[in-house]
Amino acid sequence: MTRAWVANGLSRDLPAGVVMHGAWHGQDLAIWRSASGQIAAWKDRCQHRGMRLSHGFVRGETLSCIYHGWVYGTSGACGRIPAHPGLVPPSAIRAEAFACCEKDGVIWVAPAGTEGDVPDLAGLHPVRSLTVEAAGIEAPGLTGMEILQGSVMIAGQTVALGLVLQSLAAGRTAVHALCGGGGDVVAVSRWLEDLRRRLERGVAA
Amino acid sequence: MILYDYVLSASCYKVRLMAALLGVRLDHVAVDFHPGREHRGLAFRALNPAGTIPVLVDGDLVLTESTAMLVYLAHGTAWMGGDTAVAQAQVQGWLAFAARLGASLGMARLHDMLLYAADIAAVRRDGVACLRQMEAHLVERRFAGAIWLVGDGPSIADIACFPSVMLAPDGGVSLDDYPSVRLWTRAVRSLAGFIEMPGIHRLHELKPAPEAV
Ligand code: FES
Repeated sequence: MTRAWVANGLSRDLPAGVVMHGAWHGQDLAIWRSASGQIAAWKDRCQHRGMRLSHGFVRGETLSCIYHGWVYGTSGACGRIPAHPGLVPPSAIRAEAFACCEKDGVIWVAPAGTEGDVPDLAGLHPVRSLTVEAAGIEAPGLTGMEILQGSVMIAGQTVALGLVLQSLAAGRTAVHALCGGGGDVVAVSRWLEDLRRRLERGVAA
Repeated sequence: MILYDYVLSASCYKVRLMAALLGVRLDHVAVDFHPGREHRGLAFRALNPAGTIPVLVDGDLVLTESTAMLVYLAHGTAWMGGDTAVAQAQVQGWLAFAARLGASLGMARLHDMLLYAADIAAVRRDGVACLRQMEAHLVERRFAGAIWLVGDGPSIADIACFPSVMLAPDGGVSLDDYPSVRLWTRAVRSLAGFIEMPGIHRLHELKPAPEAV
């Protein structure tokens, strides 16, 4: 089943004025945050010559393509073509927008028009994202799951943990990790490093 | 001070960048590294028997290791990373780590760009291991409200590691998987006096948009 909402990282890793690469079921995306904090996710393709918009840069409330500098506003509409400064770009020139929202410190994307049903991780706080060279977390009862939640013993403390899994190309998985309030984030980060080593050795967690 | 220099070399750029950030003027002698292989010729070997670039000459002093050049340029400034035992040891750790970056990500780039012989899968794998180690470190630095590899400000540790990391995509290794490393590269590129090299661009957003003509 193709899930609509796909986690694409943590809000803390995308500060204002930054663009990053993302993906929705194999479709490359540019995800960016404007100076005022507005977030947007678009197909990672400039309408001019197809350059990756994730290689571009954010200036104020706009994303500029690195190649010839076409400037797109947060709505996706191209507002300026530097080679033709007198021209108001036709409204048909716009980036292909995806739905993009943030909840509990996680960035989620879905096709434009997708409504509701953003997974709930209330009570958990973002820790970090890391990529595992393994397709999903294969453990009894967990195969194919998208969000793993539970309590784990970490450095002598019981920590509430949420792991949001994002399947990437080539059998890789991004793990976006959250933990309960009061959890020692350094200890959780090190636990995640250890989890990755185990998973990549083929040992179930 | 004379820098024997090659524009596409990550190690030469490391020294150019440090000098630019410090406001130190260097005279440059261009070495025909590729395709001329001038660095392997007899004349160059007389200067540096190892046949490597960069070489920094200041009077009688001849330095042939880029990290040593960073120390020479930054001596007596905050760029040394602080004078506690812990800070100095950590800086030395990252200078050694920079050599691992060069042997992995740097070699992958030389393989892809200049057709160097290398076990490309192995050097990329080593490069990924380095990036993961850096990411884990920078994640913890960010938890502590910091972004630099050592201490509260940028140091030679950051400059030593920056070029190979930033050029990783030239060797077929993406930085997409390392959000904290990416934010750290932005911090380096935000420094006053930052200079570019082919493959490493400045943050265009730091300058206002050119006016319409
Ligand atoms: S490809 Fe984007 S502006 Fe030309």
